[in-house]
Amino acid sequence: MKQLIVDGRSIALDKDGYLDDLHDWSSEVAEALALEADIVLTPDHWEILELLRAFYAEFQLSPATRPLVKYTALKLGADKGNSLHLNRLFNGTPAKLAAKLAGLPKPTNCL
Amino acid sequence: MAKSLLIISRQAPWSGPDAREALDIALAGGAFDLPVAMLFMDDGVFQLATAQNASQVQQKDLTANLQALSMFGVEELFACSTSLNERGMQPSGLSVEPLEVLDDTQIAALIDRYDQVITI
Amino acid sequence: MATLHVLSHSPFTDSRLSSCLRVLGSEDAILLCGDATYALRADTATAQTLSAKTGGLKLFVLDEDATARHIALPDWAEGVDYAGFVALSVHYDKVNTWL
Repeated sequence: MKQLIVDGRSIALDKDGYLDDLHDWSSEVAEALALEADIVLTPDHWEILELLRAFYAEFQLSPATRPLVKYTALKLGADKGNSLHLNRLFNGTPAKLAAKLAGLPKPTNCL
Repeated sequence: MAKSLLIISRQAPWSGPDAREALDIALAGGAFDLPVAMLFMDDGVFQLATAQNASQVQQKDLTANLQALSMFGVEELFACSTSLNERGMQPSGLSVEPLEVLDDTQIAALIDRYDQVITI
Repeated sequence: MATLHVLSHSPFTDSRLSSCLRVLGSEDAILLCGDATYALRADTATAQTLSAKTGGLKLFVLDEDATARHIALPDWAEGVDYAGFVALSVHYDKVNTWL
């Protein structure tokens, strides 16, 4: 099993690098997970991660790309709710990678 | 042109995996931009009841998941009026909205209109 | 867009058959297989309901499933083998299997 060490604490990850226990998430954990993907989190990243956590709280599932784009457009406007912006922030796989960094389960309806 | 798909969900929410599987097909179809619609009939209308408490039976909250349909682009949602009446449920105040309530003749026309139909 | 509705569950345990009959289109057909063939048992309400509809309704039955259950086909139902089942599936615009 994979592990992530954050502040001396070891956190269990599944085989795809998603948190085993969603309660392990914190902003430090998000930053550590982002580093593994060669991303330094900026405010632009954070607002999407927070949006994803709101999506999960509302719908109890992780969005695929299309609903993520739609939800982002709804909440943050069309200049951010488009796949170009989201792809640029999250290495071209926004639904999968952003869900991982936000501490959500892997989206099931994604290729 | 992608083929349109109607999913008829006719099982109660907590008795087995069927209600969730029907929803998963709808969400997957929506995520891939297919024209998908969903019809709740028979015990499937129990999925639309408000104030259910899934955690009591160690299940995930299907009501919350159903709200995601429109985010996944599944906007055409229908319920069977006969099934609602039989079960003492009002067509207004269901947990999923907007939703169009159809009688049997309208459902026959609905099935006719779609390229493919899956009944679970 | 005529639909072939395929039923395989006994009409005595759940509402698939009655629900299907409620929402059946005028060009649609029904194929009974598996335990759904019990719907044709003589002297039952389901057989009566079906026979009353067969003026307009095309009703097919998978022969071997009916024979296995010792159910005689009434003259208002048409028996088919698996090749016939396939031919029907191709003939109709779509197949709706009541899982």
